[in-house]
Amino acid sequence: MSRNWRTWVVVGLGIAVVSAAIYFPILRRRVKTAAKIPEPSEEQARRELTQAIAPSPTDPVVKVKMFWTSAEDESALAPVAIQLALSKDPVLRAKQVLNTLLAGPVESDLRTLPPDAALLAFYLLPDGTAVADFSEALATSSPSGVQSEQLAVDSIARTLEANVPQVKRLKILIHGQELDTLAGHVDLTQFFVVDTKAVQHGALSLDMPVNIAIPQVAAANNGASAPAKR
Amino acid sequence: MLDPAHGGTDPGARGAQGIRESDLLLDLTFQTRRALEAQGFQVLQTRSGNENPSFDDRSTLANAQYGAVFITLHISSTGLPGTVRVYTMPDAFAAVATGSVIGWDRAQAPYVTLSRKFGDAVQGQLAQRFKGSPNNSQSATIRQLRTTAAPAIAVELASVSVQDRADLDRMMPGVGDAIARGVAEFRPSYVVPGAAGKYP
Repeated sequence: MSRNWRTWVVVGLGIAVVSAAIYFPILRRRVKTAAKIPEPSEEQARRELTQAIAPSPTDPVVKVKMFWTSAEDESALAPVAIQLALSKDPVLRAKQVLNTLLAGPVESDLRTLPPDAALLAFYLLPDGTAVADFSEALATSSPSGVQSEQLAVDSIARTLEANVPQVKRLKILIHGQELDTLAGHVDLTQFFVVDTKAVQHGALSLDMPVNIAIPQVAAANNGASAPAKR
Repeated sequence: MLDPAHGGTDPGARGAQGIRESDLLLDLTFQTRRALEAQGFQVLQTRSGNENPSFDDRSTLANAQYGAVFITLHISSTGLPGTVRVYTMPDAFAAVATGSVIGWDRAQAPYVTLSRKFGDAVQGQLAQRFKGSPNNSQSATIRQLRTTAAPAIAVELASVSVQDRADLDRMMPGVGDAIARGVAEFRPSYVVPGAAGKYP
């Protein structure tokens, strides 16, 4: 009996040793993987808070044109038609298309904006002047160079022109601040043309002072105040 | 006026092989300067070492010269390696010059058309040497060009992503020579304001 007892103890210990030998490498891998997962940065947290603009059930699904890098020519943009539920409100609509632009195309090589960049705020003044405020990542993660920076800005301007006709010109801010350049080259101190037809017809000049006066009819009807941030 | 961009604490574009745009640009400037001087042009630089003058400091140097043209040199981090592109300010920028006094921050406005002509001349020369480069210059809203009161272009080589720095080194004499030929081609059409009929 006592010999049997010793046998069972030895077998039990043997099983424990074999189990530990199998389990410890797995445990070590799990600990290493957990250590590699970065803490969410302040910017990531802000992005999660600002990006969730769920379409309203009443928003119609429409065909929109997004401008990403052309698959045939990496120095040019190409329109991509996709179906999207879009608000009729121009500010919400602009946020929805810009967030889709930031999310990028199916082929990630064709994206024009860095994947970690986020739209923090979007304002639209009555005269068609828009202000888009992006997170720091738009400046710090964009590839440096005239071509890549101009493609980034053009993709924003052309996507707004195609989908939000109320926007005439655009000012880009980075985390609420005006920067000299996007990543060392393209000028962020000026307005960018969105409504190219208005410039061609002379109805819009880039040095035109910002007009925040409320049109009389709209003010009388809505009692609105501008600029409004949503 | 040759402007090797970046410098000092700003290395510009950086490649995976440790290539720094600001270092290479001094070599490119040297090659371009030599080609321009061989054509009889007087050449000044915005920097000769690893310093980083501000955008306005660089424009100040150029704007103090009578009858100068301004060329800012860059190497991109993207784009088809072995190609070269020339950029000028867009036509929409010319439309902002209103009234008789032009502010410092819009100094390029009266020169947009001339800059486009200058850019096309240089790009045409580059396209003959570097396959895949466009035939005409392109528009870009470049900060350095905005405050420059002279025909002004940006020349950008692709790219710091090459595996070997020697690939870019081999391009430089050809780029310098093409720029010098483009400047010579442009010269007869550059009539300095206030000196009608006289070339710089």
